[in-house]
Amino acid sequence: MSSRILPDFELLLPQSVPEAVELLAAHRDRITVMAGGTDVMVAMKFAQSPAQLPDYLMSLEHVPGLAYVLFDPDKGLRIGAKATIAELLAQAEVKQHYRALWNAARTFATVQVRNTATVLGNLLRASPAGDCSCAIYAIGGTVALQGPAGRREVDIDDFWLSYGVTARRPDELAVELILPPPAAGSRCAFKRMTRTNEDLAKLNVAVRLEMAGNTCVDARLAMGCVAPTPLRLTKTETLLKGRELTAEVLQSVAASVPWEIDPIDDKRSTAEYRRQVSGVLLKRAIQEACGAA
Amino acid sequence: MKNRDITLHINGEECRLNVAVNRTLLEVLRDQLGMTETKYGCGTGECGACTVLLEDGKAINSCLTLAATMDGKRITTAAGLSDFGRVNHIQQAFIDEAAIQCGYCTPGMVLKTASLLATNRDPSDEEIRHALEGNICRCTGYEKIVKAVRKAARTMPAPAACGAETCTEVAQ
Repeated sequence: MSSRILPDFELLLPQSVPEAVELLAAHRDRITVMAGGTDVMVAMKFAQSPAQLPDYLMSLEHVPGLAYVLFDPDKGLRIGAKATIAELLAQAEVKQHYRALWNAARTFATVQVRNTATVLGNLLRASPAGDCSCAIYAIGGTVALQGPAGRREVDIDDFWLSYGVTARRPDELAVELILPPPAAGSRCAFKRMTRTNEDLAKLNVAVRLEMAGNTCVDARLAMGCVAPTPLRLTKTETLLKGRELTAEVLQSVAASVPWEIDPIDDKRSTAEYRRQVSGVLLKRAIQEACGAA
Repeated sequence: MKNRDITLHINGEECRLNVAVNRTLLEVLRDQLGMTETKYGCGTGECGACTVLLEDGKAINSCLTLAATMDGKRITTAAGLSDFGRVNHIQQAFIDEAAIQCGYCTPGMVLKTASLLATNRDPSDEEIRHALEGNICRCTGYEKIVKAVRKAARTMPAPAACGAETCTEVAQ
């Protein structure tokens, strides 16, 4: 076990996005970026070997203009790199139009962590258990990355490569997340299972359904804690598309989930338990999404 | 940089400090300033013993906060709730309801209560419990703490007919 004392490092405090990108380009793999720090601080306290530790820690504290949550009915929701979970919750439009994300944020960790942790940090951590990550995966969106050569946008579907690894290159700064505008007939929901609320999820699920009456026109289903990264349930999605949401369809959808996930045993649950409850939790999320219609 | 000159405004007092960049706000409060009312619990942001209020009453874990990034910030610790050594209505409510056993979680609990009541003067039991998530008590079983928060809400000084500055003081 570690001493839970922060090791030695050099602190970098850029004053702008271009300066931050310059520092990233200069130090590449030897630098860790910190916004809220709720993950980075713990990771550094628990590092098992010097190889896991950065030489430089770059705090975004003095970079202005990244703490926004902006809603536009035509363009969607833009979340800046420094916007905290608490700031997301404070936006009435998030509760109204992005209910899955709002519910994920509401039950996210604790007050203190919500006041500090950022939404983008949750994506960049690339943990399979990230609640906001799961909700965002179902809603869909793009992550904007600023590098020395300019800005590029990565679809959330292509963002997580493996456990803890994202499509962000070492010289790129994640500057914002853009969620699509709300569509008429679009419904979403998020559900999670934990021992206590503030604990990490043992299983989480988010759904986004495009409905025409009781018929599902399109679906995005995301599940967490069942693979090395958050997982899209693409096979199960095909069972929903074009179908009326009858009890039989929901039953077949629930039955399909355990075949599509690859959970492990860990201290929060067993693989077997996760398989057993995964379909039920997804079914309940679909029912909640439609009930909210 | 390995060290940084910073100014913190702690409980209304200006502190000019030179801090090592790898020191947490908790370490600076306890070890550099001797303000031991803020407790070290888990060091990983799970127990809430190290809670302090930032700026306008936002609760944060000081064990996950680098002091060097806090330059210019206003910070309230549990000692900052009292007025010249006299406990405030929240602290009095915790005493009256015997919501303290070992006392280690209490500074965090009273600060979380202050930040809750600043935005919600009449919280339900469910709202109190949701707000206190992130502050672990191993002694009381929480019942007495929830009672103390209810009492603190009842005995909260009225903010009526005061200017913005006075209201901030009440909130703290």
